[in-house]
Amino acid sequence: MKFCRRCALTGTVAALMAIVLRLGAASAAFALTRQSPAAPAPAAAVALPNREDSLKFAVLGDFGTGDRPQYELAEQMEKLHERFPFELVVTVGDNLYGSQKPDDFRKKFEIPYKALLDAKVKFYASLGNHDVREQRMYKLFNMDGKFYYTFKPDKQNVRFFALDSTYRRPEQIQWLAKELESSNERWKIAYFHHPLYSSGDRHGSDVDWREFVEPLFVKYNVSVVFAGHDHFYERVKPQKDIVYFVAGSGGQLRRGNIDRRSGITAQGFDTDRAFLAVEISADEMFFNAISREGQVVDSGVIQRRKSE
Amino acid sequence: MVEFNRRVNEYVDLHRKLEGKLPALASDATLEEVDAHQRALERLIQRARSNARQGDLFTKNIRALFRRNLYRVFKAPEGASLKAVIMEENPGPIRLSVNGRFPDGVPLPTVPPQVLDVLPRLPTELEYRFIGNRLVLLDVHAHTIVDIIDNPIPD
Repeated sequence: MKFCRRCALTGTVAALMAIVLRLGAASAAFALTRQSPAAPAPAAAVALPNREDSLKFAVLGDFGTGDRPQYELAEQMEKLHERFPFELVVTVGDNLYGSQKPDDFRKKFEIPYKALLDAKVKFYASLGNHDVREQRMYKLFNMDGKFYYTFKPDKQNVRFFALDSTYRRPEQIQWLAKELESSNERWKIAYFHHPLYSSGDRHGSDVDWREFVEPLFVKYNVSVVFAGHDHFYERVKPQKDIVYFVAGSGGQLRRGNIDRRSGITAQGFDTDRAFLAVEISADEMFFNAISREGQVVDSGVIQRRKSE
Repeated sequence: MVEFNRRVNEYVDLHRKLEGKLPALASDATLEEVDAHQRALERLIQRARSNARQGDLFTKNIRALFRRNLYRVFKAPEGASLKAVIMEENPGPIRLSVNGRFPDGVPLPTVPPQVLDVLPRLPTELEYRFIGNRLVLLDVHAHTIVDIIDNPIPD
């Protein structure tokens, strides 16, 4: 797996203009003119190419508060979807906070994401520590009653693995090994709640969980891992050739919680909510992390891992 | 733990028998249908366990064992931060009763994986939750409280 900042390599004004014109997204344009005071200056925003046959998706975590910031970030997702029609959203857990009765599912999920749901965007959930485990039966989370599962979207050669990082049962690990081994897809992407790597001052890296799953990710060519739990956005420097993201500020926020002394942060944003927009085309994964104000607070391109 | 597992299995057998009497939920059931199903199961269980008492599953020996295991976790170096995480969304002391409904609108605070690791594994019908300084054994399908341990978290 290789990470590169395409614009940093080619970085001309003309290239940046092309990006803005191609994406046509206010968020991308915004990133060229303004950036978050908390985020280290990105070399330049990398565009989402928005190719017709690419797989487009979003990543959202720790979101179901029912509060205004969640709704405002959901509006940014909706705006992006108008120009960048992502077909699915993977959630990295803590899908609902607090009470989880039928009205809560509406207030904390169905209403804020109504436009996306109406546009047939499918949410594929994983469960966090605050989630009632019966969420797996909720049809709009597409878990089919399972705590952990795998699916392959129609577009591109990609397989997702949704895991349950709260209940770390041996049979899940056995299942994961079997599924990863038998998966022939070029892209293998895992997502779950507790991050293997995080600079969170509150939670940080979950080393116990890492011991279970990281050897499998390394062995079976997982390229990218998404998690949440720490309430900020972070892209971790590649670890054993795998890129790890923390996307835990979909509604919650722990302001200033990234401990940059960890030495593992490639890019972080902990002053407002954010979600990830991702596009996979052949061997490249483009990503933009987008804030509640529509800023692109991180972006880049990841090359998939290949068998030795 | 053998004794606890036996009692849990007995409970789950009852749960499954009673749940089997209800019409199966469709895979595309609405939130209201899921809620109605849950409340119907709650009523059946409450009727079947009308004599339930605190300590039916968490007997004296089992409580002592749980407290010992939890003491080890919470007195370890990361114990304070685990406690803080548990208390993050914890509603504090509220009225709870064995075989009663878990109060609607009350959050289900987190139980960190490190804590789950030292507790006996449960079938999918049951979960542990901390409410204030009480460990609740929760029937997730029926949203009822199966049993409670008082003060399991050391000071």
